[in-house]
Amino acid sequence: MLKLRNVKKKYKDFELDCSMEVRPGMITGFVGKNGAGKTTTLKAALGLIRPDGGEVELFGKPAAVLGKAGRTRLGVVLADSGFCGYLTIRDLLPSLERMYPKFDRAAFLEKCNRFHLSDNKKIKDFSTGMRQKLHVLFALSHDARLLILDEPTAGMDVLGRDEILDMFREYMEEKEDRAMLVSSHIAGDLESLCDDIYMINDGHIIFHEETDALLGDYALLKMTREQYQKLDKSHVLRFREENYGYSCLTDQKAFYMDNYPDVTVENNGIDTLITMMIRGERV
Amino acid sequence: MKIIINHSSMQPIYEQIVGQMKAQILKGEIKEDTMLPSVRMLAKEQRISALTVKKAYDTLEAEGFITTVHGKGSFVAPTNRQMRLEERRKEVEAAFELAIRKGKSCGMSKEELTDVFQMILEEM
Repeated sequence: MLKLRNVKKKYKDFELDCSMEVRPGMITGFVGKNGAGKTTTLKAALGLIRPDGGEVELFGKPAAVLGKAGRTRLGVVLADSGFCGYLTIRDLLPSLERMYPKFDRAAFLEKCNRFHLSDNKKIKDFSTGMRQKLHVLFALSHDARLLILDEPTAGMDVLGRDEILDMFREYMEEKEDRAMLVSSHIAGDLESLCDDIYMINDGHIIFHEETDALLGDYALLKMTREQYQKLDKSHVLRFREENYGYSCLTDQKAFYMDNYPDVTVENNGIDTLITMMIRGERV
Repeated sequence: MKIIINHSSMQPIYEQIVGQMKAQILKGEIKEDTMLPSVRMLAKEQRISALTVKKAYDTLEAEGFITTVHGKGSFVAPTNRQMRLEERRKEVEAAFELAIRKGKSCGMSKEELTDVFQMILEEM
C-alpha cells in the first residue's frame, strides 16, 4: 500500500532518514515523541514536502505518478490543517463532493449527526474535540483505501478518543483491503488499535514490531543488583539503573519467567517500552 | 461464542482466545460448521490486533479445531473423542506442572514431590 525507502529530508537541525511499509489490511501505528519526525514522514509520504532522497511508493507505484484519481483513494487527517472556520458542514458539502467522486454524503451527514456535529454551525465554534472528529469523519467518508492520519486523537478526552478508535476499527472491518497509518505521541492509544508499530526517534526508525509480540513477549524485568549480576542477558534489549537495582526490557518474557522465578516480570504498555527503548542503555 | 480477554494476565492474548474457543468447541457450545467471525471483526470486537486473532485462528486450525476456506471464512471442524481426551490429558499435565513448579520454588526435592504424589494417589 505504502512503502518508504530511505526517505531523507534535511532541515537546519533535523535529519530524517526513514523506511517503513504499510501492508493491505493492516493498521500500522507510528509513534515517537514530539519533534521526532512523524509529521515530516507523513508529509513526505503524501508528497506535501519534497524529500531530498529515497523513494515513496503508493498503491504499488512511485508516488510521483499517482494522479488526481489516485489521490482520491487517500483519506487524510493532518495535525495543522483543517477546514475554513467560517464555513458550516453544510457549506463544505459541494466542494467535498467535487473533490472525491466516492464521497458518501448521506453516510457522512448521518455520522456527523451521530457525533452531534451540527451541520449549520460555523466550524470555528466547534470545540477542539468536535473539529478533530469532523476531520476524521471526513477522512472516512469517501471510501479511501489508505488512511494517513497524523495524531487523529490529539487534544481529545478519553471518551472521544475511544469513539474515534471505534470508527477506525469499523472502517477497517467494512473492507478487508483497506489500510491505515496512524501516528500518535501517546502510544497507549495505539496498542488497542494497531497491528504493528514503528517507533521514530530523532528522524530515524529505531524500532518496528507487531503489537501482538509487544503485548505478548515483551516485558519489564525488575530485580536487585545481585539478581542482575547473575542474569543471563542474552534477551535483554535495554537496561536502566533504578534505586532498587535494575529494570530490563526483554522481548522474551517467557524465558525469564521460566528460568528466573524470583525476578519480577511486569506486563508493560507500549509507553513504558518506548521510554525504555529511548532512555535505557544497551547491554 | 463468548470470549473474555484479560489484558493484565501473563498468558498471551492469542492463547487466551485459543483456550476459550477450544473449551467451547469441545463442550459443544459452538457447533460443528459454525462460521467464526472474520479476523478483523473479532479484532474490532475485542479491541486487539488482527494479527493476534490470526495467530489464534492459525493455532486452532493447526490443531484441527477449525478449518479455513479461502475467501469464505473459518468454520468449526468436527471434533472427535480422541481430541477431547487429548485436551483433557493436556489439562491434567498442566495442573501437574503447576504443582511441581510450586513445590520446586519452595525447595521441595524430587523425592518429596513423588511422595506427595503417591500419597494423594493412594488416598483417592
